[in-house]
Amino acid sequence: MKLVVAIIKPFKLDDVKTAVQELGVQGMTITEVQGFGRQRGHTEVYRGAEYTIDFVPKVRMEILCEDDSASTVAQRIIDAARTGKIGDGKVWVVPVEAAWRIRTGEAGPDAL
Amino acid sequence: MLAAALRERRGQLDDDRTLRGSAYGQALSDAIDAALHTAFGDAPGFALVALGSYARRELCPGSDLDVLLVVPEPRRFRRRADHLQLAGRLWYPLWDAGFATGHAARSVRESLALADTNLDALTSLLDVRLVAGDPLLAGELEREARALCARRRDKVLARLADGVERRRLRPGPVAEMLEPNLKEGAGGLRDVHVLGWAGHTLGAPGGLDRLVAEALLTADDAQRVRAAAAHLLELRVELHRVNGGKSDLLVLQDHDAVAAQFATDADAMVRTLASRAREVAWITGDVLRATVREDRRVVDRVLTPRLVVRRGRIHLDGAAPPAPLDVLEAAAQSAELDVPVARPTLAAFGAMAEPDWDVWQRAAFGRLLRQGVRAVPVFEALDHAGVLVRILPEWEHVRSLPQRNAYHRFTVDRHILEAVSQCATLLDLGDGDDPLPFEGIVARACRRPELLLLGALLHDIGKGLPSDHSVVGAETATRVARRIGLDSEGVEILVWLVRDHLLMADTAVRRDLSDEATIRRFAEVLAGDGERLRLLYLLTIGDSIATGPAAWSRSKAALVRDLFVKAAAIVESDSAQTVVDDRRRALGALVGGIDEADAFLAVMPAAYPMAFEPEVMAEHRGLLANRTLVVACRDGVDGRVNVTVAAPDRAGLLATVAGALTICGLVVHEANLFSTTDGMALDVFRADDTFGRYAEGGDEPVELTLRGALAGEIDVAAGVAERRRYQGGSRPEGAVEIALDLDASDTATVIEVHCDDRVGLLYELASTMASLGLDVTVAKVQTLAERVVDTFYVRDEHGKISDMRRLAALESALRARLA
Repeated sequence: MKLVVAIIKPFKLDDVKTAVQELGVQGMTITEVQGFGRQRGHTEVYRGAEYTIDFVPKVRMEILCEDDSASTVAQRIIDAARTGKIGDGKVWVVPVEAAWRIRTGEAGPDAL
Repeated sequence: MLAAALRERRGQLDDDRTLRGSAYGQALSDAIDAALHTAFGDAPGFALVALGSYARRELCPGSDLDVLLVVPEPRRFRRRADHLQLAGRLWYPLWDAGFATGHAARSVRESLALADTNLDALTSLLDVRLVAGDPLLAGELEREARALCARRRDKVLARLADGVERRRLRPGPVAEMLEPNLKEGAGGLRDVHVLGWAGHTLGAPGGLDRLVAEALLTADDAQRVRAAAAHLLELRVELHRVNGGKSDLLVLQDHDAVAAQFATDADAMVRTLASRAREVAWITGDVLRATVREDRRVVDRVLTPRLVVRRGRIHLDGAAPPAPLDVLEAAAQSAELDVPVARPTLAAFGAMAEPDWDVWQRAAFGRLLRQGVRAVPVFEALDHAGVLVRILPEWEHVRSLPQRNAYHRFTVDRHILEAVSQCATLLDLGDGDDPLPFEGIVARACRRPELLLLGALLHDIGKGLPSDHSVVGAETATRVARRIGLDSEGVEILVWLVRDHLLMADTAVRRDLSDEATIRRFAEVLAGDGERLRLLYLLTIGDSIATGPAAWSRSKAALVRDLFVKAAAIVESDSAQTVVDDRRRALGALVGGIDEADAFLAVMPAAYPMAFEPEVMAEHRGLLANRTLVVACRDGVDGRVNVTVAAPDRAGLLATVAGALTICGLVVHEANLFSTTDGMALDVFRADDTFGRYAEGGDEPVELTLRGALAGEIDVAAGVAERRRYQGGSRPEGAVEIALDLDASDTATVIEVHCDDRVGLLYELASTMASLGLDVTVAKVQTLAERVVDTFYVRDEHGKISDMRRLAALESALRARLA
């Protein structure tokens, strides 16, 4: 099993969700996060006062899937989340040692 | 044997769905009484008493069974073995029958000693019922416990009041939580008990009757409390039947099953529960406030010809029915002074005529809303007196209206009041001292804050009706706004605010904020009105915070603010002049007079006062006064280093300073360059101390390097080249794009250079321009990953450069330098 983790722009969440659901992905976990990559933060000015935005809001998405579908899922996320502008985000895949569904105790791929 | 029979009887009672509420409690109590009576047998000198809900015969399927074996006083009681044997005979059947029991064996004196140190132990002895044994012993216990309670009156009442207040916060009011706790929630069964206990502290006969005798409670309200208690008990019995007695929390997933027991639907059940619990909570709060020592915080005073504050309460004088203004004024003052309205006055408010909403009534209502969190108890009091629906008939519909989703915590009415509170708090920020937080600056700029509060009051008024609640709400808002006599601009903005109250949050979260079209479309909805933008921004924050923690994350806050600032740039582009005026006055206060400030600003370029805070301008004034080279380094609030250079004006100053800063390891982000009309230059740099050299060495090395460079003692070009070798970095490969903008500024030509970042880039670009005899007035560096955009406002000796040949020469010189 693999865990596909993606950091995407918040407004792209719906597009990405639809795209991976088409692949048969059953569930995902979404967290609102803040961070910066190479785009770094920026400053805002309102009425002469200046505010530094160090971290930019993003959505972190985690999807648990079987080994052979991980790269397809990752590619779908990339296609759906891309705007071509700075700050589109990142996707990475990590190996998962074990997984259980808490309610039934099912383990491994059955727990997906 | 006894246990098996008791268990079986209990099972029958649980299954007999015709036994509702107190009927169930009485039947179960009877069964237990009989079993314990048999087990007790004949034990002279002992008494077995029931406590708590068992004493009140209000047991529910999941209730704990509290029993006390009253034993003779230790001095006279020596046969310890008998005592243990008796206790065993009594408790084992209860355990075996599956009851969770709270049991103890104490003498009267031991019980009282414990009760004197523990409030829970004391209140448990206020409801005592003899099950078996010596009635005199049980009577003595009850009498002594109530006497103790009356002696400790103030302490007990204060502790009861604390408990009520605590349960109001957690688990929260039964009437307003989507998943209420029937027992511990404010307005739940515990509040009813507290009222009874408060009655006992005041003396015989105790309970609600004593409160009525003391005129703390009207007979009518006592009846309402009893009816509500019966209703709560019925619900609790059915809830325990559904959830197996596990919990008193009426969770969403059990709503339908419990409602089915009453042959009704979940929404109707919740609303009935809420209206009863609301009354209990309000009455409990009111009684406890009245029993604690008289409130002397607020001195007696006359508020209006008919309204006075007397002994910590607002009273209406005279027998005539109150005018609408009396009621609204009392409400506003009650919130402002944090003084409750007296009970008789509140009752008299019921006779109020319909408000006709003259300017005074409207103002009083606005003042009430402006008090935010303090207005909430006033709203509750008005609602209890039946006046709120006369002031705002639409309230009837949202009162206790549930909303079933994981996002919300509160019923619609409580959510609305919470939103009003949050918006009032945001407006308070605007009244604070400088430096204001961001929301404070927005709030201070609001022209019509009352529309924000009315918007918060009405934003969800359309909930629970068919079709989109924003659209229906806007129709309702139109009616309300016209009725209360709002001016036409106010009506228009208010209705818009209600209809589009979700627009900003939705746009911020779901749209690409770096796409200019998103911002432009949003700004179009604002009709170019900065006031609408400010009101919607504050309402979005207030509404979100009021909804629940999930609805206002830091991340969402950042997105909404981003949208606000970008939209403000479009909508408010003409508002700069007020900022300049404010700063000019503030500078005057700092430098000893407005004339001094004007004299200074007269020699500075027009853009200067927009760029700096008054304190900074005052410092600049000091630096320029020397008319020689002065360098000042400061730690900026944002962790950057601010380097200010004042020097006699000359060509190429930017290149030299930028180069010197590069040599010092500082990475320049922004440069603002000002030439005064009297021959000085003021250059302000904001730089990142990327390598910590400034943090380590302080400002002395930077100042020395700058002086050396400006005096020509340091070869800047060589220093920058060395620095570049030192820091390494690959040769830039990306394309160089140069864009000219002749329209962006009236006084300068704007040149944007897009290229890969590298050490000393600003120095190179600036020195290229200097070599062509051009003057840079503003330089901005925007870093985007490994790319940078350097923007220069450039002028030649004639001002703005419009000679295309000269511009073409500049472009090719820049390209050559970067190649």
